Amino acid sequence: MATTRTVKVRVNGVAYEQTVEARKTLVDFLREDVGLTGTNVGCEHGVCGACTILMNGEAVRSCIMLAAQADGAELMTVEGLAKPGGELHPIQEAFREKHGLQCGFCTPGFLMTTYELLNKHPDADEEEIKEWLSGNLCRCTGYQDILESVKLAASRLRNR
Amino acid sequence: MVTAEPKLPSELPISQPRHVGKDSPRMEDPLLLTGKVEYGNDIRTPGMLHAAILRSPHAHARIKSIDTSRAEKLAGVAAVLTGKEVKDWSRPVFGVPEGWTGYALAVEKTHWVGEPVAVIAASDRYIAEDALELIEVEYEPLEPVVDALKAGSASAPNVLEGKDSNIAYDRRFVFGDVDGAFASADLIVREQFRWHRSSGNPIETCVCIADWNPFNGMLTLRGGHRSPHLILPALVISLGISSQQVRIIQSPLGGSFGVKTFARYVVLIALMAKKLGGRQVKWTEDRIEHLIGNSSHAWDRHYDCELALKSDGTIAGMKMQLVDDLGAFAEWLAIGMLLKPLLCLGSCYHIANVDYSCKGVITNKTPQGPLRAFGLPPHFWVIEQLIEIAAKKLGLESNEVRRRNFIKKDQFPYVSPSGNVYDSGDYEASLSLLLSKAGYDELRREQEAARAQGRLVGIGVVSSIEPGLTGPPMLALASPRIFSRTSSPEGILLRIDAFGKIIAELGFPPGGQSQHSFVRQILADYLGVALEDVQVITVDSLSMQPSTGPISSSMAIALSGAVLGAAARLTDKLKRAAAVMLEASADDVELFDGQFHVRGVPGKSLAVAQVAQFMMARPDLLPEGVDGNPQATYVWNPPDRTIPDEKGFGRYSVTAAGAQHLCMVEVDRETGQVKILKYVMVDDCGVRLNPSVVRGMLMGGMAHGVGTALLEEYVYDDKGQMLTSSYMDYLMPTIMEVPAAEEHEMCTPSPIAPLGVKGVGEGALHTTPAAVLCALNDALEPLGVRITEAPMTPLRIWQALQTRASHQTTE
Amino acid sequence: MKPAKFDYYDPRSLEEALTLLETHQGDGKVLAGGQSLMPLLNMRLARPKIVVDINQIKELNYLRASDGGIAIGAIARQRALQTEKLIAERVPILQEAAYFIAHPQIRSRGTICGSIAHADPAAELPALALALDAEMTLTSAKAARTVGAETFFQSFFTTALEAGEILTEVRFPAPPKDGAWSVLEISRRHGDFAIAGIVAGLALEPNRQVIARARLVYFGVGATPIRVKAAEEALIGQAALEPAFEAAAQSARQGIDPSNDIHASEEYRRAVAATLTKRALRAALQKLGKN
Repeated sequence: MATTRTVKVRVNGVAYEQTVEARKTLVDFLREDVGLTGTNVGCEHGVCGACTILMNGEAVRSCIMLAAQADGAELMTVEGLAKPGGELHPIQEAFREKHGLQCGFCTPGFLMTTYELLNKHPDADEEEIKEWLSGNLCRCTGYQDILESVKLAASRLRNR
Repeated sequence: MVTAEPKLPSELPISQPRHVGKDSPRMEDPLLLTGKVEYGNDIRTPGMLHAAILRSPHAHARIKSIDTSRAEKLAGVAAVLTGKEVKDWSRPVFGVPEGWTGYALAVEKTHWVGEPVAVIAASDRYIAEDALELIEVEYEPLEPVVDALKAGSASAPNVLEGKDSNIAYDRRFVFGDVDGAFASADLIVREQFRWHRSSGNPIETCVCIADWNPFNGMLTLRGGHRSPHLILPALVISLGISSQQVRIIQSPLGGSFGVKTFARYVVLIALMAKKLGGRQVKWTEDRIEHLIGNSSHAWDRHYDCELALKSDGTIAGMKMQLVDDLGAFAEWLAIGMLLKPLLCLGSCYHIANVDYSCKGVITNKTPQGPLRAFGLPPHFWVIEQLIEIAAKKLGLESNEVRRRNFIKKDQFPYVSPSGNVYDSGDYEASLSLLLSKAGYDELRREQEAARAQGRLVGIGVVSSIEPGLTGPPMLALASPRIFSRTSSPEGILLRIDAFGKIIAELGFPPGGQSQHSFVRQILADYLGVALEDVQVITVDSLSMQPSTGPISSSMAIALSGAVLGAAARLTDKLKRAAAVMLEASADDVELFDGQFHVRGVPGKSLAVAQVAQFMMARPDLLPEGVDGNPQATYVWNPPDRTIPDEKGFGRYSVTAAGAQHLCMVEVDRETGQVKILKYVMVDDCGVRLNPSVVRGMLMGGMAHGVGTALLEEYVYDDKGQMLTSSYMDYLMPTIMEVPAAEEHEMCTPSPIAPLGVKGVGEGALHTTPAAVLCALNDALEPLGVRITEAPMTPLRIWQALQTRASHQTTE
Repeated sequence: MKPAKFDYYDPRSLEEALTLLETHQGDGKVLAGGQSLMPLLNMRLARPKIVVDINQIKELNYLRASDGGIAIGAIARQRALQTEKLIAERVPILQEAAYFIAHPQIRSRGTICGSIAHADPAAELPALALALDAEMTLTSAKAARTVGAETFFQSFFTTALEAGEILTEVRFPAPPKDGAWSVLEISRRHGDFAIAGIVAGLALEPNRQVIARARLVYFGVGATPIRVKAAEEALIGQAALEPAFEAAAQSARQGIDPSNDIHASEEYRRAVAATLTKRALRAALQKLGKN
């Protein structure tokens, strides 16, 4: 039936198969059907960036994708960053040290954008970092500590 | 006997604070960084229903009929709630002055675009939204009132039924001899200002989960609301429910900035829960609902102001007439935003003679609601801009005028003409620090050089204060019946468990300002334990001590007061147990560096945990009056506040943080686009309990202020339709628009607040709009152009430049 | 803010997709990157009966050399403009322009063809298509046809695409090597749609003094991207100096058709377009100097 859809995805390395309405957005699928609520919903029209996840390694806004479109994809959410034993990813560590978060609601989106950025452009300069982060809104921090966090994470990942 | 409250970190019972005053890691972060925190919208339970709200498409219309039958038949729909039931089951939503609101759902009329008209509860949100489309409402459009300046005239239709005007509040406060001051002034400058509405826009929208059990009568509310004890009276008044039957469980907040009381929606979702008879229902506001429908817009102001000065720059007096467009209801405590300027009419300046009148007008727009800084940013902008104008006319440097009028260091504690007390400050020194750190003289030279090339470069240097912990006294001027109170209680319960670990139970929810972390910091130092040995939790409204929660830059003041009070009480109790163990008199036992020992007797000492465990293990050995329960509660209240008299004279707040900001901008004269070239701030919020947290809040407030000054605005057309109902048009600042700012610390510890702190959470939003807007006008000054409308968008700047250009051609 | 119901298909071949669209007549919407369509679906401003997701049609995922220029398939992403060497080599202005298109998370999904088919008059790619004489292949179940950019864009969000057709390919010819291009825009924030923008091309006579060719295309200032030929003519044969640029700017001011909205007035857009004309021409001239 074309109004529903069976979606097979791998999220943070784990396979999921769920049948959902075709109209269901990817972020709702992740939160409600997969049960990973770390990805937040801020605007549902693709502006705030809170719902940013990685699809096949690229940062995308999961509020303006259908779950059906992720069929067959490899997804990564904020829950996939830290090691299961409790060790934070260097990006998370850097955000913690540089106070790159306050209320934390926008943070998963920033972390996932940063993940792709530093993966693909480990030497990104300040202007590049800013352009990459320009699609994520934060109301608490004024961005400066986020920028510092990303710079710190970049230097640590480079030296790893 | 309870130990005296430490007035500075050095007075803590420890040789050297290990955590207070340091960049202590935040205990909130691990969950926030890993997506494991549970925000309101993350709560999902089996069988939970999901609400969606039908909203009025008209600014002002009579509801002729509502037919919900088709919606009710849709598979998955559990219930539809309409105005009829809401009228039967509740009273109009709470607001002061009383009587200027409507019900939680439109009953006979709709009053703004976005006003709730019906609520659907369904098995999921998708179906609930499908059902909204099946509700048929017949509206008879009425003439909308959209111009606040005309709303008060006799010919304007009345927005609210049963009212004979649209003026909800109109009050004048006069302090000193204003007429005399103006009569003897050498210069009077007058200007009109317009400040358009914007709002806090936390990235998390509002979430309310309600469950009203018909069998035991309990209403349980979960979700992202703050200040349960402030919401409770609104629920009791509107729902007629008995207060002990309400349990509010707060989730961590994804930001609030004033928004997260949303009492009207809590009432509305509770009523839906009532209709559902025991099934849990969740409403998650979407962003469009947030932009058009939430009572979170703020400050839609028209000012007419005069400043009277002596030729030496001394400010003799000020007259300020303010009309604020409140929107359709005087809802919740929004009126307080017109009254808060009374706390600091003269800002950082001693202005002895002030005439302040404020009028709150009802129109067919979204009702106003609390917003970070609660009405002060436009007030400070107006004062700073008037000083700039006056200084030019007097031929003085504007900073010279500021210095001449600053409240002097030796005048603190300073009693303002309206009776409020500023606890401490050194504005002169702060300004000097700012100018030297920013390299002010060099910046002025750069500006001169740029101007010589025809570039429009401007510098704004402004000052403001941030009152810490205001509340009821000021609201007594709108509703003496409810708010003739001096209290803003903040309580905690502190206990030690059987393993000797410390647990603090608060009413404050985590919401970004490191609420739990800083309680942990203080306790770890006070009791001499490791950070890891302290647990901090937020408890529900039935369990918590009296709590006001995060309002009005209160956290560092009120919560440290509560923590220190409880720690002192607990210490006192432990001391009496330790005395038994040490075989000494309790009066001779003291706590220092985490050890109880006999004063002046070296040697034997006992850790806090040891004493607590002894208490629990051997109640038989404890002295009379000491039980075996190492726990204490403490409810802190602000000292020395008073209820204002009928003239508005009263002591309203606790602390007064001071801020001086410098902003340097360049305007593209062809496009009106603005670039912030430099931003420097000095903030004196007293002792900083966690410097990086304070800095973070100041940076966030600065960014919010940049948005307010340049980007954010709710725009309505002449039919009352809102034109900025998505994030495509309501423009939040991104990392590309917010400057890299410098922040420098000034510290005059508060002599009043615990540990010398001052409230700082609303922070730079008080100051940044004035800094940016004054810098812009400084940039435009050589062209003889001045803009007095905020935000100053490229379009407004360009239009002002065109007006000037066309004057030139006609001259 | 959740989409209304629709039937969803994600065909694996173009043929299948076209058949679906034909069967459902005007009730279908093509979903490629979805960065404009999905917000409209979420807000229920778009309410198609069926959504035909073409992302699984691998044959449409390409960006390749073609007749000296490049050919871009329907599901090639905007990010490819920044990462594909071929773009940098053959039509570098596309790479430069990508910076203005929203944000990285949008460009990772948004397609080049999708932006052109959506035809937002304030978007960059339609203007680039017009400025660079791009050709579009519109394919239906019955036939494929080629439409030039000058006839493709018809009005606000309206193109030559008919019901049942998919924009399957856009081809950008490589501009002649003797010219230089610049793209500029004014927007409220970085990444927002333009209040006004320009794509400007400039080539000089062999004497390096006189303007041989010019191309001026504007966006955000009318119902479609607008090429202002009069402004181009004001440049051709003139010395590549400020007076000619000024004349072109004044001509552009009249040659566009902007409207009012909350961010900009008609007059403001005219003024900004004139300013951008001069700035873009200076930038192009500077690039020529470096060649």
